[in-house]
Amino acid sequence: MGVDLRELVLPYKKEIALEELRGIAAVDAFNALFQFITIIRQPDGTPLMDKTGRVTSHLSGILFRTANLMEKGIKPLFIFDGTPPPFKEETVQMRRDGRALAETLHKEALARGDIEEAYKQARAASRIDSTIIASAKRLITLLGLPVVDAPSEGEAQAAYMTISGDVGYAVSQDYDTLLFGSPALVRNLTVSGKRKMHGRSITVNPEKIFLDDLLFGQKISREELIQIGILVGTDFNRGCYGIGVKTGIKIVKEGGYEKTLKEKMPDFDPVPVEQFFLHPPVTKDYSLEWKTPDFEGIRAMLCEEYDFGEERVNRALSGLGLKIGQKTLDSWF
Amino acid sequence: MMLKAIIDADILRETIEAIAALVSECRLHIENDGFSMLAVDTANVAMVKAVLQKTAFQSYEAESCEIGVDITKLRNILGTPGKTDQVKIELDETRHKLELSFMGYKYSVALLDTNTIRKEPNEPNIELPAKIIVPGMELNNAIKASMLISDKIALGVDTQEKNGPFFFMHADGDTDQINKTFGPTEVQFVNPVDSRSLFSIDYLKDMGKIFGKSASVEVHLGTDHPVKFIFDMSNGNAHFIYLLAPRIEAD
Repeated sequence: MGVDLRELVLPYKKEIALEELRGIAAVDAFNALFQFITIIRQPDGTPLMDKTGRVTSHLSGILFRTANLMEKGIKPLFIFDGTPPPFKEETVQMRRDGRALAETLHKEALARGDIEEAYKQARAASRIDSTIIASAKRLITLLGLPVVDAPSEGEAQAAYMTISGDVGYAVSQDYDTLLFGSPALVRNLTVSGKRKMHGRSITVNPEKIFLDDLLFGQKISREELIQIGILVGTDFNRGCYGIGVKTGIKIVKEGGYEKTLKEKMPDFDPVPVEQFFLHPPVTKDYSLEWKTPDFEGIRAMLCEEYDFGEERVNRALSGLGLKIGQKTLDSWF
Repeated sequence: MMLKAIIDADILRETIEAIAALVSECRLHIENDGFSMLAVDTANVAMVKAVLQKTAFQSYEAESCEIGVDITKLRNILGTPGKTDQVKIELDETRHKLELSFMGYKYSVALLDTNTIRKEPNEPNIELPAKIIVPGMELNNAIKASMLISDKIALGVDTQEKNGPFFFMHADGDTDQINKTFGPTEVQFVNPVDSRSLFSIDYLKDMGKIFGKSASVEVHLGTDHPVKFIFDMSNGNAHFIYLLAPRIEAD
């Protein structure tokens, strides 16, 4: 997903403690939900589900991770994707095909008892459907956090809100956020902590990247960063065959961007993609209001409707300041 | 939007710490007679109201305005100056910053967008019939003692006992108990009315650290109702109210 600029960004990533990230965080909701759905699974790859078979991995992620962030003084808001641009269709179709194949491979692996392969394929088959989005929005709202509906890409909206100063930083795993101009990007925020990867337990720490550090350090402009992205490949275009980040930056710095595109991808018009990164559709129509979590509403939704254990939910809510049996001041205001 | 003021570091620090005991950010009202704020904590369990009067300042010039303040950041910054240092406070409205100068340092602290801070509640008008005045340190010591036994504590007034009335604090742990009573020689009973409510020690200990520094605390109680603590600091120039919702007795 996104543009693979890891090598380019690596020297400018700074590991950062959660405590240092106090302030408003604009979370790319699809990206976070996808991570929850991918990571929060049973050993054979089956996502967490309620008694009726509805996926609940994302709800678990939202509750426990968000409660953890809020305890550290981070004020998250969640931005949901709107309509993708027409030139994303190819990526969307490729993802669809990839998931369909992974679903088949998952079933086959389960049938022959290959749990490790089943887990891998189940992760690859992760999908976010309208039911997941609706339940995620409902829980986020019950937690008292703002939901913003982006007209198009969530990363673009997060970047816009960071540029405007309404939020402190954008939260996404995708480097596209930097191409959209976000002055600050935080990765790993929603998945930080101990995680199992390839059977090993590793610690994932949040990392922060400042766009200015990257541009200044690499001696490139934002327009050139977008050009490198386009050469390597983004969600909105296939990259040029055989061009990675190192070659990409060399080509752009030597002024060979247009020539390379003409040679390698003669039928591709980069202008709409460039313009999309520079001037994406965003909305100014959002309300950033944090409310008191609706503790009873959260308990009712998760414990009664989605079969969450009451003790686990109460533990998370207690992290938000509400212990069992504690009344709120609501009744007296 | 204008503010130019000088204040003893200790007074400003005490005020900010009293607010920081419950909230990490707030809307601060700057008026021509001083500062004030009112906020509830994230869980809506406790409320803090603070008023810092103009008389607390060495010099004070201000136009009415409301600013968003990161209380945790201010508390950390105010950890530096000594008791006798003075803090110069100015509002840089063009850059949307609060400037704090002391000991040759000048901090420019970004203001928060007030729209992103939770709305202030209306100050509730609750009937709490029992009213007593307790030395702050004694009250804080009793809370600290109860922390060893339980995570909740009952506060109340008993008028039925002989030699009473008594203000009592009682905590039940899984196996242990603690009981502390204050008689008429130790506390002042303004309205001795039978009352009893249960409260979370987590909240009380944070509040206790603050009102423990005050010579006297007005405690207002009811039965299964919130408790209200009213106290002054800085020679009466800083005035505070804490309100805490009860826990359910059956828990």
